[in-house]
Amino acid sequence: MTQINFTACPECDLLIKSTAPEVGEKAHCPRCGYLLQRPRKQSVERTFALSIAGLILIFPANLMPLMGIKVLGSTKAGTLWSGVSMLFDENMRAVAVLVFLSSIFFPLLNIVLSLLISGHLYFNKPNRHLAPWMLWLQHIDEWAMLEIYTLGIIVASVKLSSLAELNFGLGLYAFIGLLIVTGMLASSMDKFLFWQKIGKLSL
Amino acid sequence: MKSRKTALDQGFICCHECGDLSKITDNHIHCPLCGSVLHQRLPNSLQRTAALLLSGFCLYIPANIFPIMTYTKLGVGEPHTIVGGIISLIQGDMIPIAMLVLVASILVPLLKLLGISLLLLNVHFRWQNHARKWTMMYRIIAFVGRWSMLDIFMISILVALVDLGGVAKVIAGPAATAFAAVVVLTMFAAKNFDPRLIWDKQH
Repeated sequence: MTQINFTACPECDLLIKSTAPEVGEKAHCPRCGYLLQRPRKQSVERTFALSIAGLILIFPANLMPLMGIKVLGSTKAGTLWSGVSMLFDENMRAVAVLVFLSSIFFPLLNIVLSLLISGHLYFNKPNRHLAPWMLWLQHIDEWAMLEIYTLGIIVASVKLSSLAELNFGLGLYAFIGLLIVTGMLASSMDKFLFWQKIGKLSL
Repeated sequence: MKSRKTALDQGFICCHECGDLSKITDNHIHCPLCGSVLHQRLPNSLQRTAALLLSGFCLYIPANIFPIMTYTKLGVGEPHTIVGGIISLIQGDMIPIAMLVLVASILVPLLKLLGISLLLLNVHFRWQNHARKWTMMYRIIAFVGRWSMLDIFMISILVALVDLGGVAKVIAGPAATAFAAVVVLTMFAAKNFDPRLIWDKQH
């Protein structure tokens, strides 16, 4: 079977002899420069640990107020949810759904799927849903936009700073923690290795 | 380029989802590892990308001419377009934030629409040069697309916070829906473009 020793670049379809890069090395496609694989130290273990941390942080980040304002004596605090529900009430349903998906639902799904996959791989438990889970994870990956939401918070606070008195809630600290954890989660997951392990488990 | 063979030339097919390589045969249409339907190239890549791109271009116009939000202070409404929001940031001496919004909500969507158009022209007219640079451009477009959501998130935060009855209120405008649609459509357009097409015509 020659096909085991070969791999194809996903972006230019060049047939490449499989190499096994060490941790810290990167394997690039010689023709188009695509990053084929970047092995991580303890990829499965770290992904497992980070997704548990993410699952803990996502609740305060969603439920506690991120920030509040005070204008002429009246105060108002906002959570991740209140923006979505206000947009929905103002008949901006499509925008509300998009904000809900990209700032609440997909980040949660991302963490849950990472936890399920890495948990099964960590305990070497085969499951026929592993491949579909991994597929979903790859599809929703770019739609979870916590880092962009953070920039939105920054721009909104700059805009408001001249109009009102701002205060930041506990939810914001949880949110920043969640942002760091999901960033680390994304970089600790070696998709090539995960697919290899899923393949081995399902044999 | 004689020595460089693609998987397709050699009778192999690389799964779009998990990267698993299998031999092209008549009877298997599903990837043995992840179960996705196998395609040599993304189906109707150019047509789908062009259709999504065209819709994106159409919606880019209402996204820029209609107000994206209305700021009502003591009963007096003040509608803002995307450009108007940037100008008021510059007038408020918040240049760095103004630049950030300018890049995320004007430059990125525009360059993305133009960039994907160029990629389509490149494949259609079989331009032979600089395939590696074109691939790089594709990667940049695919990476930066999501960052345009910044404006939408900022509005969702402002709408949630600035809701102080008669004193001050922010309402999202019709351009928000159009702008969100541009971001989503161009993200799908980039996803449907198959970068392997850039390399296929190389001889």
